[in-house]
Amino acid sequence: MAVKSRTADTLAYLALGVILLIFAGPIVWFILLAIRPAQTVFAIPPVLHFTPTLEAIEATFVHPGTNLPQLFNSLVVAVCAVALNLPLAFPAAYALSRFQVRGRKNIMLWYLGLLMAPPIAFLIPYFVLMSHIGLNGTYLAMVLIMQTITIPFSVWLMKSFVDDVPTELEEAARVDGAAWHTVILRITLPLVRPGLIVTSMFAFVFAWNNAAFPLVLSSQRTETLPIGTLGYFATAGVTWTYIGAAAVAAMLPPMLIFLFLDRYVVRGLTFGSIKG
Amino acid sequence: MSLRLDRPLPVSARLAWRAALLSRRRRLFPYLLIAPSVVLLLLLIAFPLFFALKNSFYFWNMQMSPMPLGFVGLGNYGMALHGPVFMVSLMNTLVLTVSGTALEVVFGLAIALLLCRELPGMSPARAILIMPTTIAPIVVGFLFRYMYQPDGGIIPWLLSVAHIPVPARGLLGSPITALPSIVLADMWEWTPFCAIIFYAALLGVPHEVIEAARLDGASAWATLRHVRLPLIARPLAFVTMLRFMQLFNTFDLVLVLTRGGPGSSTFTLGYMLYQQGLVDFNIGLASAMTWIIVLIVNIFITLFVFFVFKDAG
Repeated sequence: MAVKSRTADTLAYLALGVILLIFAGPIVWFILLAIRPAQTVFAIPPVLHFTPTLEAIEATFVHPGTNLPQLFNSLVVAVCAVALNLPLAFPAAYALSRFQVRGRKNIMLWYLGLLMAPPIAFLIPYFVLMSHIGLNGTYLAMVLIMQTITIPFSVWLMKSFVDDVPTELEEAARVDGAAWHTVILRITLPLVRPGLIVTSMFAFVFAWNNAAFPLVLSSQRTETLPIGTLGYFATAGVTWTYIGAAAVAAMLPPMLIFLFLDRYVVRGLTFGSIKG
Repeated sequence: MSLRLDRPLPVSARLAWRAALLSRRRRLFPYLLIAPSVVLLLLLIAFPLFFALKNSFYFWNMQMSPMPLGFVGLGNYGMALHGPVFMVSLMNTLVLTVSGTALEVVFGLAIALLLCRELPGMSPARAILIMPTTIAPIVVGFLFRYMYQPDGGIIPWLLSVAHIPVPARGLLGSPITALPSIVLADMWEWTPFCAIIFYAALLGVPHEVIEAARLDGASAWATLRHVRLPLIARPLAFVTMLRFMQLFNTFDLVLVLTRGGPGSSTFTLGYMLYQQGLVDFNIGLASAMTWIIVLIVNIFITLFVFFVFKDAG
């Protein structure tokens, strides 16, 4: 029995090793692309030993730093999307968690439906409308339309955090005559603050990773990092090391946020419906 | 009944009025909290959709005119449904969606069961495993275009080492392998997502239940099939639904990897819409397509929401 389970364990570790190689390997391979000398990019057989060079990172982010403004744009759009989303989503999440609201279930399901709607279907009307009112190419256009993702997501996830906070303290304060807004701001908000931070970080990742909206609604001045990176394919000779450097910069913030939020990953990815 | 406020009320009436006002405000209060988000979303969703509905009845190419050119009734709908691209795109989308969802859920479940063995070192492995899911789909597209590159990309090289023939025009350049290559890239990103959620769900299945099944002589497979899977039915349904819808909406990967080609072998509904509306600027036709797709998606979402989330919220 002992021998058998040891064999099973060895096999399990072996399988795990293969799985990690499949799923982490390409990420490492991509990061290596960013620091490769250009002549080793498509060498056959693939080259693992090379002298790392910062040339691509310097060209993309320092001098001339083509992608640096795009990195800044990505940051502006994602941060503003989260900032606009918070004051709209938290009150809704609070009310949906605490009150017997008529049609509560339908509102929640409608939000869920929005999260599964095809963004591209809205893009053509948005593009035409934004052109008409002169908002095409502005941060505002992108930030506004990101709300169709960030608000439904945040309401779902935040509601699960508000659900976790016991109501006794709030009830006690109500009995003592405190107004609702006082109760929410002074009692509930501090208690769900960790939940709000977690939600905001996930919402940031969703906004940061959205490429369809900026693809259509940004101008050359406001385009986000992935859209800027896409531009490298339009020129004749594709400079793969530059794409590597820019793409790795677009990839790292969400990865770091997920590592940081490790405990909440399942909850975030299921919009709070599975606590994990 | 209206209250006259221009003359002082008797004390008792004044108190009653105040109480009524307060309770009314209290009842409205939750709706006031929800309203801003709902109103903003309604504006952001309904307005463009109705705008698209109106445009779908007009011939309008934006390169020719900034305004609709002429009323064509249902002409755009007929053109969309009978045109060569729509049915091909619908078929491609269904193949991509069904195969991608099935493969991701099955492999995800297999990995989740492996993680459930609770060996030392599984915890960091889990944290690393989820990394592909954190990456933007468009960036996954860059990564796979790099790895699929015909001359010197790592995947064709690995295949050649294993003596598996690669199409002369590369994996993305051949009509037979292009769509499966997109499925593979999507699987790389989302199989870990399925695995991590199933793993969390399986951890919630009490040990006693599994032990009891074992003691009753159930095989590992029977235990899985009849005990563990039914107990995680909800997460299973949730993940399946989410992957199905997201795959149905696939756009970013196609944009970066194939742009619908070669020919129309990887046109998806999402990419077709982008091509018609934002590359060729056939706003009228694209608006009709938008509505057809919105109707299809709505059927799916309604079905899912009724079956999976009927008791949620």
